[in-house]
Amino acid sequence: MFVDAVRFAFDILSFTSVMVLVVLGLGVIASMMGIFNFAHGEFVTLGAYTVFLAQDAGLNVWWGIVAAPVAVGLVGLLLERSIIRRFYAAPIIAMLGTYAIGLVIREIVRSLLGGHYKSVPEPWPGFFAVGGMDFSIWRTFIISITIVVIVGSWLFLVKTSVGLRIRGSLENPMLARASGISTSRLYALTFAFGSALAGLAGALIVPLYQLSADMGLRFLVQGFLSVMLGGVGTFEGPVLGGASVGALAAGLPWAVIPVLADPLVFVIALAFVKLRPQGFIAKGRS
Amino acid sequence: MAILDRPSVAAPSIRFSKFAMIEAVILLAILLTPALLWSRTELITLATNVLILSMLGLSFDLCWGYSGIMSFGQALFFGVAGYVVALVGRDLDFSAFWGTLPLAMLVGLVLSLLFAVFLLLGRRAPTSIFVALGTLTGSYAAERLVSGWQYVGAGNGLSSVKLLQIGPYEMLEGPGFYCLAFAALLGSYLLCRFLVRSQFGLVLAGIRQNEERLAFFGYRVQIFKALIFSCAGMIAGLAGALYAYHQGFIGPGNMGPGLSTTAVLYCLFGGSGTLIGAIIGTAVIEVLSYQLESVQQIKQFWPIILGLVLLLVVVFKQTGLLGFLVSDRERIGSYGVAAAKNRKEES
Amino acid sequence: MHQDAKNVRSTDMNRRRLLTGAGALTAAGWIAGTAGGWLLRPKWAHAAGPIKVGIATDITGAIAPSGNANWQVAQFAVDGINKAGGILGRPIELHLEDTASDPKVAVGNVRKLIQEYKVDVVLGGITSAMRQAIKDPIVNRGRTLYIYPQLYEGQECTKHLYCTGPTPAQQCDELIPFLIKKQGRKRFAMPSANYVWPQLLNKYARKVIEANGGEVVFEEYYPLDQPEYSATIAKIRDGKVDCVFNTVIPPGLQPFMKQLYESGFQKNGGVVTCVYYDENLLNYHPAREMDGLYSCLDYFQTIDDSFSKGLQAGYSKMFPDTKYLFTAGSAATGMYRGIKFYEAAVIETKGDLHREAVSAAMDHAKLANGPGGGAEMVPGHMHCKMNMYIARCKATGDKASYDIVGKFDQVDPKEC
Repeated sequence: MFVDAVRFAFDILSFTSVMVLVVLGLGVIASMMGIFNFAHGEFVTLGAYTVFLAQDAGLNVWWGIVAAPVAVGLVGLLLERSIIRRFYAAPIIAMLGTYAIGLVIREIVRSLLGGHYKSVPEPWPGFFAVGGMDFSIWRTFIISITIVVIVGSWLFLVKTSVGLRIRGSLENPMLARASGISTSRLYALTFAFGSALAGLAGALIVPLYQLSADMGLRFLVQGFLSVMLGGVGTFEGPVLGGASVGALAAGLPWAVIPVLADPLVFVIALAFVKLRPQGFIAKGRS
Repeated sequence: MAILDRPSVAAPSIRFSKFAMIEAVILLAILLTPALLWSRTELITLATNVLILSMLGLSFDLCWGYSGIMSFGQALFFGVAGYVVALVGRDLDFSAFWGTLPLAMLVGLVLSLLFAVFLLLGRRAPTSIFVALGTLTGSYAAERLVSGWQYVGAGNGLSSVKLLQIGPYEMLEGPGFYCLAFAALLGSYLLCRFLVRSQFGLVLAGIRQNEERLAFFGYRVQIFKALIFSCAGMIAGLAGALYAYHQGFIGPGNMGPGLSTTAVLYCLFGGSGTLIGAIIGTAVIEVLSYQLESVQQIKQFWPIILGLVLLLVVVFKQTGLLGFLVSDRERIGSYGVAAAKNRKEES
Repeated sequence: MHQDAKNVRSTDMNRRRLLTGAGALTAAGWIAGTAGGWLLRPKWAHAAGPIKVGIATDITGAIAPSGNANWQVAQFAVDGINKAGGILGRPIELHLEDTASDPKVAVGNVRKLIQEYKVDVVLGGITSAMRQAIKDPIVNRGRTLYIYPQLYEGQECTKHLYCTGPTPAQQCDELIPFLIKKQGRKRFAMPSANYVWPQLLNKYARKVIEANGGEVVFEEYYPLDQPEYSATIAKIRDGKVDCVFNTVIPPGLQPFMKQLYESGFQKNGGVVTCVYYDENLLNYHPAREMDGLYSCLDYFQTIDDSFSKGLQAGYSKMFPDTKYLFTAGSAATGMYRGIKFYEAAVIETKGDLHREAVSAAMDHAKLANGPGGGAEMVPGHMHCKMNMYIARCKATGDKASYDIVGKFDQVDPKEC
């Protein structure tokens, strides 16, 4: 009984970690620029694809995992500078535009993969036993990395001067600009950071799940629900939202038959958002 | 309100606007097509598909082009109605058109009404992002649900859909079905046109321009949005049923975000907010897809090209194809009783 | 092969990665059809025109490794027939449409085969989902003969639809008693993909298991793309399952087999059995996950049969270094059989290609030789008898081969 509970908690935790990474990126972009990046799911796919490319080219998978956040961050930066910043004035157009970008990325990946599903092996396969229970090494690694990233980001926001500027722009962009903070550079940095996080999430998850062109859509929908659930405008909000949706998605199949659990996660999350539109933590711009 | 009484164009009033001309040309093209393609069954099938899918584009145009509701899930109503008629054919052995087509419309209407109530109505007005996300989620969740539900064929979808019956005839692909699809499209188009050119349409135009202002005037903006959303859902439902009968197959992919995005593309590419633009967009994209699929070099890249087209339209030319042909003022047009009276006065 | 094809340019070689499917096709002499598919034109003409054969299979998507295999075999079989002078002097013209592992797309593409190319017969469909989707446009609306080449769950008794792959009776009736009696396996688990093939196959298999004294510990269904199987593996461990009767298919197959292997199931003596497993499955996951697996099919490459070995040699010559192997689980053997049955039927009707005539002839068609042995249609039942082999997979390094542990001659399909 105890063993089951621990196993249950561990599975939920590992899936939730990936969700949190994705949602953190989505959340900071939404909080900072007020736009919802509908291409975010595809950034996850790109991260996974980078790892696959590294493996296909004969390199050690680790190169791919390290390269993924960098590569996707760069892609994000490029996109932000060229296309995305036209959308800041009109958030609704931003939705359409980023969705179109996501579509293009998705179809490019699909044609590169030839429509196939690809597998990438775990860089650290196998289990380690603690107290008679087996824990997957790779899943533990994912959880650890997520914690490091969250703590690191939080420290960055709180302790550094750039972090201070970011927090200032979050609270009151007008005032920030008036104080001489270059919001456009901060926006670019934020978008790149958000994309890099998504890329990292994709790289971490691809050894467990498979790489396919459509893997991003699930993360997009779940990511958005998480952000809205957690509340836009803060750092903790999306993390909390991501954890909730992740827990729901991983935990529900243990309670309900799997085929029903899948859509039920979305319905429940959507209902919550409807009941409490400002999310768990309501602060900053909404 | 005086501003709306008289058209402000200084130029002499044109009796036949460019817009009406375009509509007439399209109508003629649709009428002539079966005659031109009589023997090429596969091309008639393509043309029929274009007509059916135009209705889906039309339903999106009603939502976004006229009311500013970004619906990423129109295919949901399309797909659900398709499933309903396929199930009715399979389990109740019934496929007479006088029963199933109205049923499909009812299904589309009721489902979209439910969605509208959930998404749009409530104590607080929803943000546009919530509506967009809600429709996307609905479409995605429905696709996942249906993919796992054995009764509706799970991932396989429903095949061997019982053929649509009109009187003693069973409708296969061909000129007969083409005429039926045309009749449905024409009916939907006229309904939409009537709606948007009436006083109701005037309110919608106001919502589109500035929702808050209209709310301050005392209009229950969300109710209007819900009504138009339901109407759009009804049309999408009819299209879905025709599609299921025509293809003989309906699957989870027909109600998911993939098809929903395609509807967005059709409408934006042709020109949103014009109704005829949705039809033009659908026709151009579907015909091009069919032709270019044969060129193996392009086949791989075609979906990418479509995505890029959508991006280009969104970033640069939001008025779509029609924006090249028709001026902005003409495109938006005049609405309401006062404008109609003006038109009568001028002529 | 066919190096004189006009579309081979150096740029094709550079873009081979991008155009894996298209490049290989072009290099093999295929030219683009007028609206979508691929067309293999015969090298000579006949007054009455060519016999048009349509292949509808998954070139892209989750089932692509099997689809590409069975389409290459189709080319091989047709090439052999054409080299020998065609059927009654008429060459075969091969048309290919990609069903893309997606029934929605398949319906439209198959319709092209019928309406635009007006083919005389369609062979194809791999998963039962695909067969269900495309059989209506082919058999009912298209009024065309349809041959389905893959192993499946049975109960397909549509007129003018012939099945040349193994049925549950052919696959389970010997395999399961073998596992229970000779291998001592008693506790079975049935993890399954959620669609019609696993559901009906499991029903049949359960009957055989229980009739032989075994027990089904659990039977579960997952969405086709399920990535997470920890709950399933926990159930296998807790239920002390010693034989997993797997019917999970790609894309869920890879994570399932990986997670099962890594949980140490095979290391602790557990055995996996899966009736569609053949040598091609190496394209889906590494050999070590296949080691010790039992399968029951109509053909394995290790069979000591001169005709089969001749076929393999010819296939390897036509497609050197291909990763898509001529195997039984990928519908390739069924495809070969189907084309040869069609040839036999048309010879019997003396060239009459009308569906009713060919169908009547096909009903009792016989093949003296084929991969794994000859085959014979059971008249009135639309399925055929064939030799069945039980085999155990042995992994050496990153290669896998099958050791034959049982052979059964001309097993009755027991369908319809």
